[in-house]
Amino acid sequence: MVGVIQTAIGGISILFAFFVFYDIFNVQTVLGFVADSMGLYLWVFIIFGLLSVISGLFLLYEM
Amino acid sequence: MTEPHLKRELGLLRVTMMGIGGTVCASSFVIIGYAAGLVGYAIVPVVIICGVISLLTMLSYAELGTAIPLAGGEYTWAKIAYGGFIGFLTGWFEWLSNMFYAAISAIGFAYVISYIFPQINIPLVAAVVVIIFALVNLRGAKQTGTIQTVITVLFLTILVIFVLGGWSQAQVAQPTQNTGSIGLIGISVAIAYLFELYLGGEAIAAAQAETKNPGRNIPLAIVLTALITILIYATVVFVAVGIVPPEILSQQSSPIAFAAAQAMGPAAGIIVTIGLALAGLATTNEAIMAQSRVLYAMSRDGYLPKRLCSIEKRFCTPHYAIIIGSIFTALFAATGMVNFVVYAVNLGFIIGFFVVNLSLIKLRKIAPHLKRPFHVPLYPLTPIAGLITCAFLALFIEPSVILLGIELAIVAVFVYYVKMMGYNRFRIAFGGVSLGLGSLAGLVAHLLRTNSIVLHGVSQETAAIFFYVLVFICIIEFLAGILNVTASDI
Repeated sequence: MVGVIQTAIGGISILFAFFVFYDIFNVQTVLGFVADSMGLYLWVFIIFGLLSVISGLFLLYEM
Repeated sequence: MTEPHLKRELGLLRVTMMGIGGTVCASSFVIIGYAAGLVGYAIVPVVIICGVISLLTMLSYAELGTAIPLAGGEYTWAKIAYGGFIGFLTGWFEWLSNMFYAAISAIGFAYVISYIFPQINIPLVAAVVVIIFALVNLRGAKQTGTIQTVITVLFLTILVIFVLGGWSQAQVAQPTQNTGSIGLIGISVAIAYLFELYLGGEAIAAAQAETKNPGRNIPLAIVLTALITILIYATVVFVAVGIVPPEILSQQSSPIAFAAAQAMGPAAGIIVTIGLALAGLATTNEAIMAQSRVLYAMSRDGYLPKRLCSIEKRFCTPHYAIIIGSIFTALFAATGMVNFVVYAVNLGFIIGFFVVNLSLIKLRKIAPHLKRPFHVPLYPLTPIAGLITCAFLALFIEPSVILLGIELAIVAVFVYYVKMMGYNRFRIAFGGVSLGLGSLAGLVAHLLRTNSIVLHGVSQETAAIFFYVLVFICIIEFLAGILNVTASDI
């Protein structure tokens, strides 16, 4: 269960990064993100997401 | 009892049609409109330059495809020339590129038919197309090749009608834009964007394990495909910008259908749409096949789980490879983002083309006696020119796609070293990483709670939701970290 949730958190983080970058559903304005730092947000969310997915997959693979 | 294997059942016509069908894609005729907006009437020479650049590397494909007739294409050649890691990385990007290519073909199909059915949901239609052609591919290469041949012949006929019907109109139209002001940068940006036009022909080399007499048919089919597609794109684009000014063409979801309707009436627009839609289906089909063969070859060599190279006994197809790749393809297609996926396709193939030219040069040195039914003309100038143009085009790829490419390379490195260095060491390492991520989430939650971080323009209620989400993530990451670090099999 922990593996599933961690993988899902990672996946959502990556998805969220793209939502923020392309300003889908006006996310940048709603969350008050600064346009100049968009590259940094993208890095943080995607790296966080990838690491979470990989770690979660280790737990899933054990099942 | 012998193991099931891929059958050699594709002749020259089918392989060439597979190349043309894979290259002349519905998405190509969608992105041409955007590129016309970038460079105006210079779109015609840009399209021809793209074709020539592509042909430089296609010749390398022809030589390597006939010298090393094994499934896997670029991946197999890079593995032989440079060994494990470079081969794996090439295969990885080749697989991703073909998945992106299948996705953009399906998205292109959806955009094209939106000319007739404007109310359709483009991402949904694209994803459904991928699923249908995954099922077609599961039934085998013969069925795939037959469908491809019929679709390609129909599509070419429709394009010829468009060119002949629109030619007189195109003669009347006069350029109104000063194309001299675009400059080398503008032209280069357009070439990097339109590089996708000529992708797909290399799938001929990837399918060589299923081609009859590959020594003759592979190089012939590759060169024929390149020449025919240059002719097709150049004439179609010339007629299109002759009928409709580029600045208007760039605003259309299906520029060629729009141009056909302007020149020959609404019925022509619908007929061209049908042709483009068929081409979109053909390329989706071909790319799904190509990605599955790369996955098959990488699994065969032990880089990926063995299950991916198992062959279904009844239809002799790598069914697991087709299914896994198609799931990812359907997800990419469901994004519906044209420009991002086009640049992702281009980046992957630029890397692939670069490695193919390098592999050709290396193999000429380390394996001079290898039997080569076809030799690249003007060696080494041709592959070196291919290398230089690939490196130059990479400079004009969208930065966010470059970022994605770097991240995918990191994942590739991880997958490779898990396989090479051992599973358990990496599991401990990622347990530690999870603990770190949990600490980070906890720290950010604490800073948010104590107002050390202030979210501008965000209400207190939303900030509170953020706090609880971060606490939840912190707990999950910590639990996952502990479970990975203390797993019983370590």
